[in-house]
Amino acid sequence: MVLRRGQDPTLRPSAIADPATVRVTFEYLACATFWLLVGTGAGLLDALKLNWPDALAVPWLSFGRVRPVHTNTLFWGWSSMALVGLALYVVARTSRAPLWSPALSRLSLALWNAAAAAGLVTLSLGVTRGPQEYREWVWPVALLFAAGLVLNGVNAYMTASTRAIPEFYISNWYILGAFCFLAILFTAGYIPLYERGLGNVVIQGYYMHTAVGMWFTMLSLGVSYYAIPRILGRPIYSYALGVLGFWTNILFYTLIGAHHFIFSPVPWWLQTTAILFSVGMMVPVWAGGGNLLLTFRGTSGVLQRSYAAPFLLAGIVAYVLVSTQGTLEAFRTANVYWHFTNFTVGHSHLSMYGFVSFVIWGAAYGLVPRLTGSEPNPILVGIHFWLALVGYVVYVVAISIAGVLQGFAWVAGEAFIRSVEAAQPMWLWRTAGGVLMVASHLVFAVNLWAMRPGRAIAAMPAAPAVEASA
Amino acid sequence: MNFHTSHRAVVAFAFFGYLVLTLLIAILPAESVKDTPGLPGAAARSALAEQGRVIYLREGCGYCHTQFVRDLPLDRPYGRATVAEDYANEDPPLAGTERTGPDLSNVASRQPSDTWHLLHLYNPRAVVPQSVMPGFPWYFEEKAAAAPGDVVVPVPARFVSTQGHVVVARQEARALVAYLLSLRQPEVQR
Repeated sequence: MVLRRGQDPTLRPSAIADPATVRVTFEYLACATFWLLVGTGAGLLDALKLNWPDALAVPWLSFGRVRPVHTNTLFWGWSSMALVGLALYVVARTSRAPLWSPALSRLSLALWNAAAAAGLVTLSLGVTRGPQEYREWVWPVALLFAAGLVLNGVNAYMTASTRAIPEFYISNWYILGAFCFLAILFTAGYIPLYERGLGNVVIQGYYMHTAVGMWFTMLSLGVSYYAIPRILGRPIYSYALGVLGFWTNILFYTLIGAHHFIFSPVPWWLQTTAILFSVGMMVPVWAGGGNLLLTFRGTSGVLQRSYAAPFLLAGIVAYVLVSTQGTLEAFRTANVYWHFTNFTVGHSHLSMYGFVSFVIWGAAYGLVPRLTGSEPNPILVGIHFWLALVGYVVYVVAISIAGVLQGFAWVAGEAFIRSVEAAQPMWLWRTAGGVLMVASHLVFAVNLWAMRPGRAIAAMPAAPAVEASA
Repeated sequence: MNFHTSHRAVVAFAFFGYLVLTLLIAILPAESVKDTPGLPGAAARSALAEQGRVIYLREGCGYCHTQFVRDLPLDRPYGRATVAEDYANEDPPLAGTERTGPDLSNVASRQPSDTWHLLHLYNPRAVVPQSVMPGFPWYFEEKAAAAPGDVVVPVPARFVSTQGHVVVARQEARALVAYLLSLRQPEVQR
């Protein structure tokens, strides 16, 4: 069953969704996709630089400057904008209310675009706080982002508080929580008072870990708890597991940042705490991941018909895999072999790409056509899915093998350069995977454009149309 | 108070819960170790080396080179295990999370030659053919002839674009080398 804009009279913009909210969501997704192309272009460039280190030897394109451009653009540009755009819609929809202030979120979007652009320029020029991962932006750039964060948080909170129903749906726990968490961790990561010497290392472990766990994971789960039941047309398997996952994620995820600095001078009790709670992470991961996977049980029919559901399923599977992998990496024995190697790079791509980006795409394909009445070409969505999936699996497998080879070379006591030689063929495979990933993003950009809100949305009469309630 | 009907309750518990955890796991531990004094044998960095450190930060060297030696057999080649005192007065300390290249905590003891470092920074493949490190030719200058006072880098002919020209280290390259040669682990008195 394929519905096409202008060809099928039953496909029309949602009569329930508030048009202004829909436009805000679309604008966030569109800007996010621009940063996706920039950020993954930077990533591909850096991958190529490990294959051909003498190519494009100019300062602003050198490996060490492009790397933070890649990570920060994809964290704060692509992932944050896309997830928040979807989350704002989810909050409004599950509150049965329009977005409290579309203007406020447009202002936030402008601030975030300004931050992403300023971050791109400053990091390329070498204006940086040093290799402190995901907080390389100098404070004026970070401040632009923080202002947008607070405004969006206020908007989401006010939307939820004007809700037309008494229930405060579980998605909103995760989404409103995420705004609180990032506000705290961003502040904690930028205040210089306790950052001297080893204090900085303690904060760095906490910061880079919880940025992923308390912002991207929380938002992705919040969006999933709405998008998955909505697309499958059935309630989530267990509401209680969602609640359990929420509180245990806060408790366990926050405490495990120090596992990035095992065997370091960071206090030993802090490292041991981090390892113990890394095991504890299995509780929220299997509560949340298992819950969402069980919601998929017996829906193979939908998986065949819907092009959104496979993205979401792949995303949740990656969530469970990457988190289990993370627990294993935290053990001291495994850390000896894997730490400092490319294995970590594979791990972070499995999480930010396999989980977060796939959830974004699944939710975008699942929700946006329902709102705008405009469907993308299903063949192109399929091409996007398979290019992205095959691309990142090749990427992650290749870079993980590279990591294992590096670790073995080091443990065997070989000269350092042997670990470089061992990884080199795998770096070519990684680049090949990266090319597929970047190609899939171009297809996504085309598909998103096809889903844009048409003129119909503003002209739609308020008359109720036949539409499954969300 | 019912979490299922009160957004205020959920947000308040999540916000303050996370704030308390952040204090306990990050801010208070950081506060307790931030003023660890440096080792008695640690030499103060020269102004030139300090300038080199800024360039090291700017070029993102710390993404591929750690300054964090663990008390493990596989880390022996890089020196003794890093102690908290090694990071004293470092803002930010460059512990790092990835070793695409080797650890540099003690590189000056391992590789004390400034000529080697200049060559390596100009083009790493001039000294290590399999290296994937970026070169930093923008911190060097090709000239027809060296002027008095110039630091000439003995670059093999195939790495020079115009035959017969000499490669001269700019101030930035010399600063970067001064920084690298300042990376020498002082002894720990046990």
